[in-house]
Amino acid sequence: MRREAGSPASRRESLAFLARFGVLLVLFYVAIALRPVDAAVVVPFTAAIARVSGAVLNALGEPAAVAGTEIRSPAFAVQIENGCNGLETVLLFGAAVLAFPAPWKRRLAGLVLGFAAIELVNLLRVVSLFWIGVHRPALFSASHTVLWQSLVVLFGVLLFLSWAARARPAGLPAERRP
Amino acid sequence: MTGGAGPGRAAVLRALAAFVLALAFWFGFRAPYERLLAPATEAVLRATERPAVTRLSAEGGEILVERSDFPAGSPRPGLPAADLHFNFVLLAALFALDPRPLEGSRVAALLLASLVLFGVHVAALAFQVRSVYATALGPWSAAHYGAASRNFWSGGFHFYEVAGRFAAPFAIWWALRRGEEDRVGDDRKRKRKRES
Repeated sequence: MRREAGSPASRRESLAFLARFGVLLVLFYVAIALRPVDAAVVVPFTAAIARVSGAVLNALGEPAAVAGTEIRSPAFAVQIENGCNGLETVLLFGAAVLAFPAPWKRRLAGLVLGFAAIELVNLLRVVSLFWIGVHRPALFSASHTVLWQSLVVLFGVLLFLSWAARARPAGLPAERRP
Repeated sequence: MTGGAGPGRAAVLRALAAFVLALAFWFGFRAPYERLLAPATEAVLRATERPAVTRLSAEGGEILVERSDFPAGSPRPGLPAADLHFNFVLLAALFALDPRPLEGSRVAALLLASLVLFGVHVAALAFQVRSVYATALGPWSAAHYGAASRNFWSGGFHFYEVAGRFAAPFAIWWALRRGEEDRVGDDRKRKRKRES
């Protein structure tokens, strides 16, 4: 039976989605906050981001050396940490995708493609922030804290909404396009 | 549960425009906002501590933590405030994704969402201050906070930093967005009922 937008069933589904999203977010957070996971997964992943960012910067003619999770040039150095590696947006996106009532195949495809897209945008963020740090250091703090973090998360939310519109199972109502 | 074809180009452009406007608004009003946030959080902290000793004030982009039982002349922790509340910019951008974001009911929803987000900021700052008490004051922290409470306060604030900071605007927007669509759905049902 088809459920109508605005019906009590639709409202319940929406609240159930938020509840599942909250639980999954806490579980994902606990998983990456554990020291062994941080040491075995998060830090090597962050170091890989630093290496790729360093390679892109060098390819663009911006000299940069990479040591662990640090990118350094004679004029500027930056340490990539949690929050700069895109994982917070990946957590948000992953929790939303898994909480959404869609077939598992679509959820898995969404997770893989979403992860890749978010990390690609995050790479753009790290490279541009390094460039700003070298050439416009006065703008670095605001760009780092406010501008780019929010933009990457906004991108993650838009990605989720686009995916959810296509992954919606039959039987749920199609609603207005924003 | 979500838009039939996902956010259209116009919605994305609206969200980006709102992002820029909200960013300008946030830069202009962050200092007065922090002067509001500090006493509100102080009231919550003082209501939950015996004796009530915490004093918070906003200065130069930081929330300064003062306790009346700190030794005179000891350094006062200063907590960066922008990290707590710049997620308002994301909230505003998300509301601009909705159709007709300047309609009265949507503006009212954004105001309500901002109020809820203010509550989230108060809770996050309270966790941050308690986290400082529990982990950053050396022997004093060890004497007053056990392992479980150290993990609770610092873990709670770390959760906000890593996940909650951005999940909060999304969840608030989603909840109020649904509320709005429900209202529209109810209006349609009432209209159909009248017509039949």
